[in-house]
Parts: sequence; structure tokens; C-alpha cells
Amino acid sequence: MSRPTSRLSLTRRALLQSSAVIAATSVLPSVGFAQSGGRLVVAADSEPKSLNPAIVASNGVFFISSKVVEPLAEASFDGKDGLAPRLATSWEGSGDGLSVTFKLREGVTWHDGKPFTSADVAFSALNVWKPLQNLGRLVFANLEAVDTPDDATAIFRFSKPTPFQLIRNALPAVTAVVAKHVYENSPDIAADPANTALTGTGPFKFAEHKPGEYYRLTKNEAYWGEGQPVLDEIIYRVLPDRAAAAGALEADEIQLAAFSQVPLADLDRISKVDGIKVYSTGYEGLTYQLTVEINHRRKELADLKVRQAIAHAIDKDFVVKTIFLGYARPSTGIVPHNAPEFYNADVPTYAFDVAKANALLDEAGYPRGADGNRFVLKLLPAPYFSETKQFGDYLRQALAAVGIDAQVVNNDPAAHIKAVYADHDFDLAIAPTVFRGDPAISTTILVASGTPAGVPFSNQGGYANPTLDALIAKANETVDVAARTALFNEFQQRVAEDLPLINVAEWGFITVARDSVLNVSNNPRWAVSNWADTALES
Amino acid sequence: MSVLQRLLRSPEGAIGLAILCLLAATAMSAGAFFPRDPLSIVGPALVPPFSDMAFPLGTDRLGRDVLAELVHGSRASLMVGIAAAAVALVVGALVGTLAGFAGGLIDEALMRIVDAFQVVPAFLLALAFVSVAGASLPVVVLAIALGAWTAPARLARAEVLSIRERDYVAAARVIGMRPLEIALREVLPNALAPVLALSSVIVASSVLIEAALSFLGLSDPNIVTWGSMIAEGRNVLRSAPFLSIVPGIALMLTVLGVYLFSEGLGQALAGRKART
Amino acid sequence: MRRAFLLVRRRAISSIPVLLIVIVGAFLLLEAAPGDAVDAYLLSIGGGDPALVQSLRESYGLDQSVAARLWLYVTALLHLDLGWSVIFGRPVLDIILERLPNTLWLMGSATALAFGLGSLLGIVAGARPGSSADRTLSIGSLALYAVPNFWLGLVLSVVFAVQLRWFPTSGIETIASGKQGLARAFDIAWHLVLPVASLAFVYLALFLRMMRAGMAEAWRQDYVLAARAKGLARRRIVLRHVARNALLPLVTMLGLQAATMLGGSVVIENVFAIPGFGRLAQEAVAGRDAPLLTGIIVVSAVLVVLVNLLVDIAYALLDPRVGASDAAA
Repeated sequence: MSRPTSRLSLTRRALLQSSAVIAATSVLPSVGFAQSGGRLVVAADSEPKSLNPAIVASNGVFFISSKVVEPLAEASFDGKDGLAPRLATSWEGSGDGLSVTFKLREGVTWHDGKPFTSADVAFSALNVWKPLQNLGRLVFANLEAVDTPDDATAIFRFSKPTPFQLIRNALPAVTAVVAKHVYENSPDIAADPANTALTGTGPFKFAEHKPGEYYRLTKNEAYWGEGQPVLDEIIYRVLPDRAAAAGALEADEIQLAAFSQVPLADLDRISKVDGIKVYSTGYEGLTYQLTVEINHRRKELADLKVRQAIAHAIDKDFVVKTIFLGYARPSTGIVPHNAPEFYNADVPTYAFDVAKANALLDEAGYPRGADGNRFVLKLLPAPYFSETKQFGDYLRQALAAVGIDAQVVNNDPAAHIKAVYADHDFDLAIAPTVFRGDPAISTTILVASGTPAGVPFSNQGGYANPTLDALIAKANETVDVAARTALFNEFQQRVAEDLPLINVAEWGFITVARDSVLNVSNNPRWAVSNWADTALES
Repeated sequence: MSVLQRLLRSPEGAIGLAILCLLAATAMSAGAFFPRDPLSIVGPALVPPFSDMAFPLGTDRLGRDVLAELVHGSRASLMVGIAAAAVALVVGALVGTLAGFAGGLIDEALMRIVDAFQVVPAFLLALAFVSVAGASLPVVVLAIALGAWTAPARLARAEVLSIRERDYVAAARVIGMRPLEIALREVLPNALAPVLALSSVIVASSVLIEAALSFLGLSDPNIVTWGSMIAEGRNVLRSAPFLSIVPGIALMLTVLGVYLFSEGLGQALAGRKART
Repeated sequence: MRRAFLLVRRRAISSIPVLLIVIVGAFLLLEAAPGDAVDAYLLSIGGGDPALVQSLRESYGLDQSVAARLWLYVTALLHLDLGWSVIFGRPVLDIILERLPNTLWLMGSATALAFGLGSLLGIVAGARPGSSADRTLSIGSLALYAVPNFWLGLVLSVVFAVQLRWFPTSGIETIASGKQGLARAFDIAWHLVLPVASLAFVYLALFLRMMRAGMAEAWRQDYVLAARAKGLARRRIVLRHVARNALLPLVTMLGLQAATMLGGSVVIENVFAIPGFGRLAQEAVAGRDAPLLTGIIVVSAVLVVLVNLLVDIAYALLDPRVGASDAAA
């Protein structure tokens, strides 16, 4: 049975009433007459320098490239282990964790007509994912060889036991396959011009990029999926300013804006506009968390009581209701609810309690001074989401209520990265951390010690906890799924206990589309999936 | 008739002065009427204006009182405008006087630097400078001054060139004052009047540049300015247009007030000149 | 003709040190920025490990000294090589030439509108100083002059693009429309209406006020008094004597405003998502793309110098009293 399309018009009131907004909701599929063909114009808020998803595994790149270059498997609402086959039709790990066997789809051709084979997978894995890709460097760190007994089989061989659970969870994000014949003679794959004019196996071909204006993808007539793709053309119209997307949608200049390009505060109004629909699903596989990063080098913040006080000072419900307007839910820990495989609800929690926060701070030995302040902190909200900035404004007020004077520092993105992750010139920072299917991909690095300065989105707060480090190391070599999951359960508990960082809320993004666009948000990574079945109603 | 009387007689001057006085009063009484941090969250989000007497102008995205923000914003906007103009005038007047008085190679070098600043669009320069130095109040002031000091410098230099050959300067030279001393003591004060006349224009444009920078997200996050209010409101322009319209009107009134005032002042001064 | 040539030569020579100061200044400014191109890139890809960071710095040449990079930059510039953009991975000159036309269209149209309409209304206002038309236009232009252009842009776009749908909300032309020739020109013009209006109104007010002030001055001149005494028709006096003389300072102002307008287009391009010079500058700053930003600043400086040169030539042609020697000031 295929899952019905989630098409849900949302009002703010309805959202506030239901706290489980992000959880996948299914309602009756609407009846529409999908017409083959047509041009879909969508808003894009950035123009990535490299479009190659095999090298740059980020949502900004995937948003465009996922239609052109395919991974071995894609996330799915109803598939086994939450996956749907793409270039691989099956995958299996060995009991010792030293090999994974992929059966590949046959009869697939590259956009230039050459056949897709296991040699392409082996080349991508060994020459691109492992040495060059930001996430693959970690996931495939112990990948030693890829055997290709025939054109449709690729066997990954690891030098050390590597949990199959991790490889499987990483498939959608890190295994975009590129063509060996395009890159094999390249002197520098990372800087190859082919990274901007992609060749792939996906339902759409890369046609052109007009910098500052648009990207154009056209239908791949030779796509392996039967009757797919439905659309003739996808155009990504570059609209760097978020406020511009809503107007363009209303004026029908674009038909779809993903990744909350329409500001949350505008959703209530725009959902009532005729012909426009708001989707809050389709991002379950890309959950973001609003996280307070803490610099443990500050003596006040090295004190657990102070960190607990800060956690108690934050009204998570207010954050969800006012900053996210209900399109989020409070976090309990470092792994979001949307990862049921790993999520552990049984962790210490910190209810909003100003009196308790004040008491904890008094206890810690930081009485209020004459001006009512206990101490001054430097607060750096990440500038790349309006919600992180707004939360910065809120946190300043919330901390003022418990006698902490937080001075907000407004940096542009590059300066923020430098200040927090290289220079450690912060006391508190606000980061939108991402959970990417498995805690080992981009979550454990947020609290593990030993990452050198200068690595963004890692623990740069000087926090070191040998117990946590040992847990993480053990999980990285535990092949047994149940045992590994148990280790991560304990990991979540200890993080919530010791508060190396504070997870405030978790959110998925919102897609707003004209109701002529069909099959929107029908998988957990929809915005960054291939859109082969996306159609336009006549 | 005094300048003030003349000023009040022209409708421009009277209206301008009234607006400026009102503004100054608002800015100065901000702390008295709204003692709390204007950024503090005081009520439900997005209350429309005139619907709740506790928040006459409504609340913004986070539930902050728009009226309090507006009133405190007048302070920041005026402060930035006046401070930037002051820095620009002082630096410009000094450089111009020095160039005009020293002449020769120093003059040449200084004027090339003035040229260099003048051919780069001031806003582009301010944008780059604030991005680089980080958005805080002093940086914004400096960034605006960076693009505004050249006009006063040129003016001061021209004045000095016309003044320096006059008798009293020659006299100072005869009694053995050092060149720099002459420049500061004798020439600068005389060149100051026309330079000051430029000031209102610079204040007005500084207020506007500050707003534009804030609009692009380059403002000090710990204080409210009208530009940052407009930028905030931009995201909800359709749902809550008042959030950007209210500070926009305030901004317009302020700049208008400054222009009217300077227009009136110009007329008053011209009138005085014609008589004497 | 010879005078124009001398003027050009003098201007060109005196511009060299000025541009050099601009280049070094722009380069050093970006050098002082916290965070470099690698930081900006790492952000866009969602992080990376230390070895990757190091290899990126090397491949961008960021491991060399500041002086070495500045020297390389200036010497390359002599061959009209503006360097290689870090964020786009393409030659800076190519990128700039791609975006420049959009900004020139925006600025050019705004200038034409502001100058044309501004001086025309200025003549109307200045024809009878103190008349009700004069008063209305004076106050109206002052109010217009006080409106922040980005705010005007927002309001115009909501009213005319989103509500009334008369004009597109953003962009420079209908994307991937395949339009050619005249159809494309109309398309671009249609897209430019709102941005040009937002940018032009402020300058329109400025030109109006200058024209009016110039005319008020001219009414007091002897030759105008003489013309009036001769009993010439008022319309003839206004156009032949008064307006004509008041026009000259406006031409000078045109040159002075070139830099300001280029700056103003940064914000307008942001509001209307026009892929022009201003937005490119913002992207360059955000991506810490030193070669690109320096290139933008240098090219805009050259542009401003060129506009001023044109204005000087125009001025010299309009007013024979101006000799080549005065123009250098």
C-alpha cells in the first residue's frame, strides 16, 4: 500500500492545539487530475558553490542536486528501516561488521547515455565519499575496498567493524553516486567543473544555471522509474530574501517554497489565500534542533548548577508557541523525537521555573549585584535562521529574569563560525543543530571532546567528559543493533544529566505550495528527494 | 530680527523645529515613560495597534511593545545620526583645514585620499565595514562617518584656501605662530560656519543610512532602531503591515523635520545676510 | 575637441593614485575581517574535519602572507585580471560583467527618470516662485526626499506587485522565458518599473529642489531682469533664460550622485531580488570573497570616475566658459 499524500491545510490555532505537529500526519488524499508535463518553479534561497552531493552533503546542495544525482537509497515513510530503494535494490551487512553488500539496479543509464554499473559506486565510495565528503569522511573512515564481482553488485569492505545500522541510516544523505567516467581523469575532483554542471542518473537533467537568477532542470526521458518523471521542467528561482518568497507565491510567479522560505509568521495568513497550501510534513528525516551551545571555559558555566539554572530559565513552550508559532515541539534531549529508533524519553528534564533557576544560581554562589545582575555573558545567536536570531532575543530576556545579563553579539555567518568554532569567543551560542538519521553522523560530535578548533558544528565549548567519550567510542564499533541503540540511550541520559549543551526545541521546515502542485511532502526528506512523482494539476 | 524669529516665521522652519523638538523630547523621555528594556517581552505576539490600551501601537513578533520600541528607537536613530555627523564633521574639518593650510604634497596626498573615499559608494563602504567589524553601535557610527567626512573636508579646504590669504592669518604668521597653531586657532573657527551648514544634511542622511544598514541586518542587536524594526516587520509585512509602516513613518518624519529645519534656517540666515 | 581630450587625459592621470588607494584599502579591509572564505564555505556545506579545513586553506592560497597576496593582486590587476572568485569559482571580471548590466539599467533608468521629471517639475515650481504650485511641489518633494528608499520599495511591491499584480514582485526578467529582442526588452522594462521608481524618487526630489533653487537665483540675475523689462513673454524667459542657467548645477549633481545611487541600488536590489552589482557585493561580503569584493569596489570606483568624466565633458560642452584647467578640481 502506498502512503496517501499528506496534504494538510494548517491554521495556527489547530497547530497550537496539537503539540505533535511534526509527526507525520496522513489525511485523505485529495483528488486531482495530474497532468503529465509542465514547468514547476520553486524558490531557492542560496546558490551553492559546488552542486555535487557526493562531495557536499548539505541540504542546500541536495535541494537542487537530488533531482539529478541519486543516492543508493532514499528515506521513506513506509519502507523497511525507513528506506526506499534508489540505485541499490537491496543492502545487507555482514555479522562481523566488516562488509556490506549492495545489489544495484540494472538497466540504469547516466544522462550522457553511458550505463551505470558497480564501478561507478566503487569509484564514488573510494574516490569521493571517503576522501572528500564532509559527512562521508566520518561514516566511511574505515572503508578499505569496494569489490565489484559483477556490474550489479558492490561489496564494501571495512578495516574495522563498522555498524551496519550507521551505514544504513546514512544511505540517503551520504551515498549520492557520481559517474566514474566523468571524474576518473580529473586532477582535482573537488574543484572539477563537472561539480556545477552535474551528470547523474536522476529523473531530471541539469540544463543551466544563470547566477543570481535561476537553475533549470529538464526531464530525463530515459529515467528508470516507469512513467517518471511527470514534470517537464523544474526551475529554481533564486530569491535570497525570505520575505520575497511569499509575495512571489501569491502572485503565482513561483509554485512552491520549501525549507520555510515563507516566514512562519506569514503562514497563518497565507494558508487562507485561495490556491495556496501549507505542508508541515516531509522533513521528518531532516530534523533541526534549537540548541544552546555553552562555553565551559567560563568558570560560571563550568558549574552544573548554573547550566541547570539556564535550562530552567527557558520557557520551551513559549519558544515553540511564539518563535515557531507552533511549528515545532520542545526538545527533551540531544536526539529528537523524530528518530524513534534512538529517541529516549527517559531523561532528566528541566521545567520552566524561574524561582528554581534563581535558587540554583544563589546556591552556586552568584548572588545578584546592586544592579540586579549576577554576571554578564556574551550570547552569539547563529545568524542563518531567523528563529535562531529571535531565540537569541528571547534568551537575553529570559536570562535577565534570573539576573544574568546576556549581551547579544550580531555577527554575519562567516564571523559567527569563526568566533564560536575557531576562536571560542563566546559564552553562550545558539545553533541549529541537525540530526541526520544516526547519532554518529552529526550528533555525537557536538559533545565529544578532542575535536580541534576550527571545525564548525562540533564541540568547541571546551567540554570534556571521559564517560561520554567512552560511550561514543564504544557505539562507533558496536555492530549489534540492539546493543548500539542501548549505548545511545545511555548517551542521551548522560547528556541530559550533565548539560554540555541545552536542547530547547526541534523543528522541521514548512513547505508552501500552490494547490496545483501534487504529491508534495510524501517522504521524510521530500524537499531533498528526487521529485520524480511530483506533478502539476491542470 | 533674530535668526530664531526668522526661523519661526517661515512655515518650513517652524514645522521643522516643532518636529525636532518633539523628537528630542521623545528621545529624552524614553527612559521615564518606558523604563524597561524596550526589547523585553511584555505581552502576546502580534497584537494589532489600537486594539489593546496596554499596547497602543500593538506588539511585534515576540510580544514586545511597539510603542516602547518606537520611542526608544528614536533615541538610537537620533544618536547614530548625530554621532555619525559629528565624527564626519570633525574629521572632515580637520583634514580639510590641514590640507588647505599645508598645501603642496600633503594637500595633494590628503585630497587623493578624499577622492578615493568619494569614488567608492558610501553605502557599499559602510556595508563592507560593518560586516567586517561586527555590528555594534560605535562601528555603525564609524561606518556611516566613513562615507560622510569627504564633503566637509572639501568644503573646509575651500574655505581655508580663501581665508588663509586674508589679513588676520598673515598677521598671525608675522607674530610667529606655527602653521598648525594658525590652522587650529585662526583658520578653523572661521571656516566652521559653512561646514556646520552641511551638518543637517549629514544628520539626515546618516539616519537613513543607519536604517538601511539595519534593514540588511547590520545593526546592534541589543538596542532597537527604526531600521531594525522595519527589517523585523518585513517578514510579516503582509500579516502585520503596521510593524514596518509605523517605524517607516517615524523615520520619514524625522528626516523631514531635519530638512525643513535646515531649509528654514537657510532662509533665515540668507535673510540676515541680505540685511546686514 | 582638444579641450575634451586634455580633460580626459588629466582626469585619467589623476585617477590612478585614487584607484590605487581604493584597491589597497578594500583589500586590507577584507583582510581585517574575522572569518575567511574557508569559514564561509564550511558553513555552507555543514561542517568538515580539520584536515579538510587545512587543505581548503591551502587551495585558496590563504596560507600565504597578506603582503604576498596584495602584491599578487595588484600586479595581476595591471593586466586587467581581477582575480578568481572564491565563492563562484570563476574569474571575478566575468561575474562582474554578468551582473553589471542589470545595475546599470536600474541606475540609468532611475537617473533618467529623476533628472527628466525632476528638472521638469523644478521648472514648473520655479516658473512662479511662491505660487501654490511651487509650495506644493516644494513640500511634496521634501517629503519624498525623506522617504527611505527601501521602505518605499517594500510598500510599492506590496501594493503594485502582490495586491494589484500590475508588476512582478522581483527579478530582472521573466525567468527562462526564452524571450528575445523587443519582447525581452519590454519584459525587462516591466520588471524594472517598481525598483526604478523606488530608487528614483529620492533623486527626483533632489533634482526638483535644485532646479527650483537655481531658478529662484536666476530670476534675480540682471539679464533676466533685462529680459523682463524688454517685455518678453514669461514662458520664453522661463525656458530660454532662467531654466537653462539653472540646469548646469544639476549636471554637476548628476556626477556627484553617481556613487550614492550605486550605493542605493544595493538595498533596492535586495528588496526586489535583482541579480545586480549590489547583491553581488552582499554575497561577496557574506562569503568573505576578498577578490570579488575588491573587484566590485574597484569597478564601482572606476564607474564613478567615468561618470564624473562624462559629466565634466558634458559640462564643458554646455558651458563654454569652463576651461579644461578648472575641470581638474
